[in-house]
Amino acid sequence: MSFISAENVKFSYDEENKNVLNDVSLTIEKGEFVALLGHNGCGKSTMAKLLNGMLTPDEGVVVVDSIDTKNEEMTYEIRSKVGLVLQNPDNQLVASIIEEDVAFGPENLGIEPSEIRRRVDESLKAVGMYEYRRHAPHKLSGGQKQRVAIAGILAMEPSCVVFDEPTAMLDPNGREEVMRAINALKEKGITIVLITHYMNEAVLADRVVVMDGGKVLLQGTPREVFSEVPTLKRHCLDVPQATELAYRLIGAGVRFTDMPLNVEECVSFLEEVLG
Amino acid sequence: MIRDVSFGQFIPGKSLIHRLDPRFKMVLLIAHIVLIFCTFNFASLGIVTAATIGLILISGVPFKMYVKSLKVVLIIVIITSLLNIFYGSGDPIFQLGFIKITLEGIFRAVFVSVRIILLILISSALTFTTSPTDLTDAIERLMSPLKVLHIKVHEIAMMMTIALRFVPTLLEETDKIMSAQKARGADMESGGLFKKVKALTPVLIPLFVSAFRRAYELAVAMECRCYRGGDGRTRMKTLRAMPLDYFAVLIECILLAGIIVCNVFLTSVI
Amino acid sequence: MNVIEVKDLSFVYGVDTPFEKKAVDNLSLSIKQGEVIGLIGHTGSGKSTFVQMLNGLIKPSSGQVLLEGKDIWEKPKEIRKVRFKVGMVFQYPEYQLFDETVYKDISFGPRNKGLGESEIDETVRRAAKFVSLNDKLLGKSPFDLSGGEKRRAAIAGVIAMDPDVLILDEPTAGLDPKGRDVLLSQIISYHKERKNTIILVSHSMEDVARIADRIMVLNHGRLEMLDTPRAVFSRVDELESMGLRVPQITRIMTILRGKGYDFSDGILTVGQAFEEVVNLLKKEGKR
Repeated sequence: MSFISAENVKFSYDEENKNVLNDVSLTIEKGEFVALLGHNGCGKSTMAKLLNGMLTPDEGVVVVDSIDTKNEEMTYEIRSKVGLVLQNPDNQLVASIIEEDVAFGPENLGIEPSEIRRRVDESLKAVGMYEYRRHAPHKLSGGQKQRVAIAGILAMEPSCVVFDEPTAMLDPNGREEVMRAINALKEKGITIVLITHYMNEAVLADRVVVMDGGKVLLQGTPREVFSEVPTLKRHCLDVPQATELAYRLIGAGVRFTDMPLNVEECVSFLEEVLG
Repeated sequence: MIRDVSFGQFIPGKSLIHRLDPRFKMVLLIAHIVLIFCTFNFASLGIVTAATIGLILISGVPFKMYVKSLKVVLIIVIITSLLNIFYGSGDPIFQLGFIKITLEGIFRAVFVSVRIILLILISSALTFTTSPTDLTDAIERLMSPLKVLHIKVHEIAMMMTIALRFVPTLLEETDKIMSAQKARGADMESGGLFKKVKALTPVLIPLFVSAFRRAYELAVAMECRCYRGGDGRTRMKTLRAMPLDYFAVLIECILLAGIIVCNVFLTSVI
Repeated sequence: MNVIEVKDLSFVYGVDTPFEKKAVDNLSLSIKQGEVIGLIGHTGSGKSTFVQMLNGLIKPSSGQVLLEGKDIWEKPKEIRKVRFKVGMVFQYPEYQLFDETVYKDISFGPRNKGLGESEIDETVRRAAKFVSLNDKLLGKSPFDLSGGEKRRAAIAGVIAMDPDVLILDEPTAGLDPKGRDVLLSQIISYHKERKNTIILVSHSMEDVARIADRIMVLNHGRLEMLDTPRAVFSRVDELESMGLRVPQITRIMTILRGKGYDFSDGILTVGQAFEEVVNLLKKEGKR
């Protein structure tokens, strides 16, 4: 059975407004890395909050590790299984010392002090922020703050982490740092759901899900999804430049084997084409 | 700039003072302040001053920082000592028209200024050597008996923690918004008080809006991290009194004894 | 004609403290009237400090900023006048909105400038049009707008001052691809109509490549490059050593050039790359 499954989910913030999510069905397997794409207002962020039970569906069900998110007794169980990292790194950090901030989650779960210490150290090492453990958050760069926020979620030892546009407010270096941290989590076997606008980040996923108008529009491997250049463009989404070039060349009659997604693939694609 | 104030700033270090249990530090601070105000003759004042300076020296914090923190109270010290010099009772040693200066007045001025200076020094020593989180932690733990009276000790401490965390962020934000409004030609320097207050509206409103947005996002983030109040919560850091802490108490007791002896055997000069 | 000229401009932070740092180090350059300058550099390269010195929000430690030939700090009391001529849109400008209605908020700048009511009305409506805010939105509270609309309203607030130089610090940060495209095209069409000078500070090389006449690269407060986009982006290795990333397409074409394929240097857009590849294919008759 899937680790998370959402079935025919409908959701609206208040009765007058139309549904933000309109009949979304989505499954996420254990250990998978899923990227969720879509323009602003397509319901991605709402989806993120449904996955960890911060919101519950109006219709349909969301089941996390065989627990229905509507089961109020299990709320904290679900939130500790599915961590949520938000967009603004500044507004997620609670304490004025890094390691104490990372300890916040496990402290809330009532874990033994010595075990919290171990988890905090381990989480900070996993995101490469261990040397900064005694620093104050406001002196860090955006990328560093976001890595601390990730460590804070990691310290709850979740099976899955949902990232809601974690790189939207960062500079290119910060984005790279955060993506490296996300990859480190994936290597630990943690399930990852990444909501992003950056196609270069989405190509790293095992599966890409494109949402539009509160529905799932497309899904598949990055190669399958990004091959649908016209559909993506029509829904105001980018494709990586590497893919776009190949797509236009194909349109001009060039024959090819595989749609390139990144620099290396595009280079070998062009080498193949040009001989 | 607002950020130049050194009072209340934490300076990480590994000195003996840094290593003291924050709970002990807080209690000892209060005890020490009481001692400072129980000095009535030069001997006792000398003892407390020597002890305070000794403590500052072993705190490992640059002396410059203490001097900086004194700047804040300089004016208060000057005003109170002037008041004491001119309004002292007793026989005048100098008189010019209605201005008369008495020996007692001078003594009072000296005692009051030294006391204020010591008070600031010792409080700075606490904030310089104790992280804000340790301080709120100590307050939470020291106040925890008050839970019996249904005082929400955990909530108060959590509010303090969050306030401490967001003060630098909001200061930075204030700077940014001010620059943005100045770039739109806002005039914040000239004009009378009323005009100046009015000119702050374009800064204060965005600041409030942003503070509320941050508060909302922080609440979501805290809930995502399973926050549900103080019940059933554990702490990573466990505070345990060490021999060093008891040693500090012992020293403070010796000081107390010294002051008592001075006050009993020597006459008060003020 | 040079609208802005910068001579030996430096700024030092935290003088006499352990944190002393040269944010801007001896910059000299001139910007022509009507030019679009793209300013790039990693975080902490001195970009923000530099642009804030151009409109007198930060006073230089040494050196001069000449606006239309006159030192902006000649009369420090009149520095506000400079800010109407050199308009500055900060990063995430939506966080500066404060007034009851969008209309009133946009009129804040023109009012500070001392314009009359009818002039204010005209300039506000013109600015709103540039960023496609309709009359209905002008009557709303700025806090009821969507994220993208707020951003555009805030930009209109600066455009409404009708500055001769418009500085935009990361105007597209945090927007989705569509919002990014729309805003950038609005800036381009604004520039076409108003023909003023624009300085665009951005991390997005794709954005900069799309609109800049010249690109200025700052690194550790020093001016490393100031040249056409093609010339700048042909120095891929140097840019990367400064922690800057060139557009993906530029990298691809540079790698292929390195492998001996006959492509031009400094390719910036997918369109250009496409042409180049097609031309090469034609040449080799491999179509």
